[in-house]
Amino acid sequence: MPIRLDPEDSEATALLDFAGSFAGKRVLEIGCGDGRLTWRYARHAARVVAIDPDEDEIKAALEDRPPDLRVEFRAVGIADYDAPDAIFDTVILSWAL
Amino acid sequence: MGHALEKIHRLLKPGSVLVDIHPTPEATEIEVRVGAQMHTAGWLHETDDYSDYAAADEALAKVVKSGLFAVEREGTLSFATYADTLAELRDYLTEGWENARIDEITLARIEELTSTPERDKDIILRERVRIARLRPI
Repeated sequence: MPIRLDPEDSEATALLDFAGSFAGKRVLEIGCGDGRLTWRYARHAARVVAIDPDEDEIKAALEDRPPDLRVEFRAVGIADYDAPDAIFDTVILSWAL
Repeated sequence: MGHALEKIHRLLKPGSVLVDIHPTPEATEIEVRVGAQMHTAGWLHETDDYSDYAAADEALAKVVKSGLFAVEREGTLSFATYADTLAELRDYLTEGWENARIDEITLARIEELTSTPERDKDIILRERVRIARLRPI
């Protein structure tokens, strides 16, 4: 069996608890990696933009993306991410500071 | 980090939420589970990430002090990484966690604990991770 990250589900459980409802929300996830955490909430959100400067991680996320989930993945860091002001309801900083 | 938080503040709507998740600057515990028994084997040490984690805490404290964000709630969680064998764990650390080091005593303890005939066992890295909910002001 390969390495398993957070099989006890502590991180996703805490995120869902701390962030509150994702229903109808526009979400930016910074440091999404291969989408490990993204899959846990994206289904409930209105729109998800998930960014990470590591192109290989974004490629892995796109390959693993469940077909029914619409997530906009971008290989970019927060410094270079271009977006209008005041458009997100929730920002997740995922091991990215 | 400060610039990133200022940019995040700009991207957030009024009344919205920032959730920050990052490791604490504490050594990662290594456990070995053999059947139903859990054993502490020792610690994984990092040579430079601790300062990054402390800097993340400082950056957050700074934007809170400056009035950009307010902390609504904070806590910690235990983030576990499971490996079946020591070789698998070493490969994982070599590929993605170059500054991690397991001391000889801990390695010997892991080898001792995993050398039993019991087949149901895991080596577990347990990181203490901080999570906080902040509100832009």
